[in-house]
Amino acid sequence: MSAITLGRGEGHLLAQVVRAFSANATSWIGLALFLAIVALALLAPVISPYDPLDQDVLTRLAPPSADHWLGTDSYGRDILSRLLWGARLSLVISTVSILAAMLIGGVIGIVSGYVGGRFDLVVMQAMDVLLSFPSLIMGLMVVAMLGASMVNLMIAIALTAIAPFARIARAPTIVVKERDYIEACRALGFSDLRIMAVHILPNIIAEIIVMGSLWLATAIRIEASLSFIGLGVRPPTATWGGMIREGFENILDSAWLSVFPSLAILLVVFSLNMIGDGLRDAIDPKLRSGE
Amino acid sequence: MASGAAPILAVENLVTAFRSGGGEHAAVRDVSFTVQRNETVAIVGESGCGKSVTALSIMGLVPAANGRIVAGHIRFAGRDLVGLGEDEMRKIRGDRISMIFQEPMTSLNPVLTVGFQIAETLRYHRGMDRAAAGRAALDLLEQVKIPAARQRFGDYPHQFSGGMRQRVMIAIALACRPELLLADEPTTALDVTIQAQVLSLLAELKSAYGMAMIFITHNLGVVASIADRVAVMYAGEIVEVAPLDTLFAHPTHPYTELLLRSIPRVDQDARHLSTIPGQVPSISAMPRGCRFAPRCPLRVAICAERDPLLAPVAGSPAHQARCWVRAPQAELAHA
Repeated sequence: MSAITLGRGEGHLLAQVVRAFSANATSWIGLALFLAIVALALLAPVISPYDPLDQDVLTRLAPPSADHWLGTDSYGRDILSRLLWGARLSLVISTVSILAAMLIGGVIGIVSGYVGGRFDLVVMQAMDVLLSFPSLIMGLMVVAMLGASMVNLMIAIALTAIAPFARIARAPTIVVKERDYIEACRALGFSDLRIMAVHILPNIIAEIIVMGSLWLATAIRIEASLSFIGLGVRPPTATWGGMIREGFENILDSAWLSVFPSLAILLVVFSLNMIGDGLRDAIDPKLRSGE
Repeated sequence: MASGAAPILAVENLVTAFRSGGGEHAAVRDVSFTVQRNETVAIVGESGCGKSVTALSIMGLVPAANGRIVAGHIRFAGRDLVGLGEDEMRKIRGDRISMIFQEPMTSLNPVLTVGFQIAETLRYHRGMDRAAAGRAALDLLEQVKIPAARQRFGDYPHQFSGGMRQRVMIAIALACRPELLLADEPTTALDVTIQAQVLSLLAELKSAYGMAMIFITHNLGVVASIADRVAVMYAGEIVEVAPLDTLFAHPTHPYTELLLRSIPRVDQDARHLSTIPGQVPSISAMPRGCRFAPRCPLRVAICAERDPLLAPVAGSPAHQARCWVRAPQAELAHA
C-alpha cells in the first residue's frame, strides 16, 4: 500500500505560482539580481579584498583603482569591502524586521478581520494611528526612546511595517470568511483558531508574501535613511546608509564615496520590486493561466 | 414509522427570529417535528419559507449578529441543543450532526486537497493521526464512489466536477458517522442525471450507516425519491406533515395541494401549468390569522382572524395539517 499524502496544498499552489512567476522575464532578472547580492553578502568574509575596518591613512580618499576597485573613504578603508560587509547587515536587519512585521501584522489582520465588529474597528483604528507616522518619524521616536542599536533599528522598522501587513491580511480575510467553505467548517464544528490557521491563512498567504517582498525593499531604504541621519548601527560598523552619510562630507571632490552605496541600495530595491511585481502577477487569479 | 421509540431529533415549537429594519421578525415560527433513527424527513417549501433557517437552528449556526432562537427546544438524542454552549455544540457539529450544503462548487476550500479536507474532520473530532485519518479518508472517498479514489486523493477541488465535489462533501459530512445528517438542497446545483446519482448514493449510505436524515428541498420530485416523511413549510410554519405516500395521495392543506398541482406532468398539456396566485408574504408583513389565507381558494371568515394549529387529519394521527377548513381545529382552537 503506497503512502497516502495529506499535502496541505501549498505544493500545488506553489507550483502554479512558480509557473506564472517564471513566465515573466523581469521577475527572473529581479530574482537573479537579488540572489547575486545575497550571495555576495554571504561570501563577504571570503571575497572582500580588505578588512572593512582597516584604516590606511596613506591612501585616504583614493579614487577607484586596480588596488581599490571602488576607491577608499576618508579613513582609507576599502569601499568594496565595506559595501560587501554592509550588505550583510542591511539584509539581516531588513529581513528580520519584515519577517517580524509579517508575523505580527498578519496575525492582527486575520484575527481582526475574522472577529469583525467593534473589535475590528478598534484594532484597525489603532493600526491607522500607527500608519499615520511616516516611517522615518517612527524610527526617530523608537531609536530616541530605546537608543541606537541594531535590535532597536529592527524594532523601529518592524513597527512601521506592522500596520500595512495587518491591512493586507485583513482585507482578504473579510472576503474569505464569508465563503461557503468557511461556513462548512463551522458546520463541521471546527474551532475559530483552526478555521483561521488552516482554512483562511493558506488562502491569503500569497498576498502577504508579495507584500513582504515589496516591504523588504522599503525596509532597506528605512535602514539606510536612519543610518544616514545617524540613528542606525554605530560606526565604524559598515552599513550602506552610514557609508552614504560619511561620504556626504566629501561629496564634491570624492563623489564615489556616496555613489557606490547608493547604487547598491538602488540595485537591491530594484531587484526586490521586480520580484514583488512578478509574484503579484503570479498570484493574481485573474492572470493565473488555465488550471 | 415507529412511534414508540424515542426520536433522534425532536424539534418543539421552535421560533427563530432575525432583526431587520428596526424590528425582530420570526423567520421560523412554532415549528415542531420529529425525526426517528434511520428515517428521512423532507422539508419542502419555496425559497424563504424558513427551511434553511430551521436547519441552521438545529446546527446552532444562526448568525449571532442579527438572528437568534427565540423559543422552543431542539432535543437531539434526548439533549436540548437550544442554550447549549458553543464548545459543546462544536463537539456535536461535524461529529454527531453533519450538514451538506447546496453549493458543491464553493463549499470546499480551494487551496486544500480533498483528501486533507476529508481527513481533517476525523483528525479533529476523533483525534486520529495523519496516517489513520488518511486511510479512513481514502476509504470514504471510495464509499462515495469517486472513480480512481487513490489517484484523486491528493487532487484539489477545482479538479473535480460539481457532482464529484458533492460526493466529496458527503464524504466529509459522513466521516465521523453522524447520527443525523442535514442535507440543505444538496442536489439543487447539479444537473438531473448527476442529481439522481447523488440521491441514490445518499439513500444507500443512509441505510448503510443507519442514520437519520433531514432533506431540505423545494423539489417535490426529489422528495418522492428519497423521503419517508414530508413536512411542508410555508412562510415560516409547517403547514402539513405526512408520510410520503399519504402526502402525495391525499394532500390536505390547500398549499400542499396547489403545490402538487403545479408540478409539470408528462400526461398533461404543458401549456396549462398551474401556478399559485399571489406571493409569499414578506417576513415583516405577515398577515393576521392563517398565513396562506390571502392566497387560499378555500378561505373562510375565520382564516383571516385566527392562526390555525397543526391538527391531525381525520383517520391518521401521523398526518397533520394547519388549516381551519381541512383539519378540524375544534378541540384545539383556544379562544
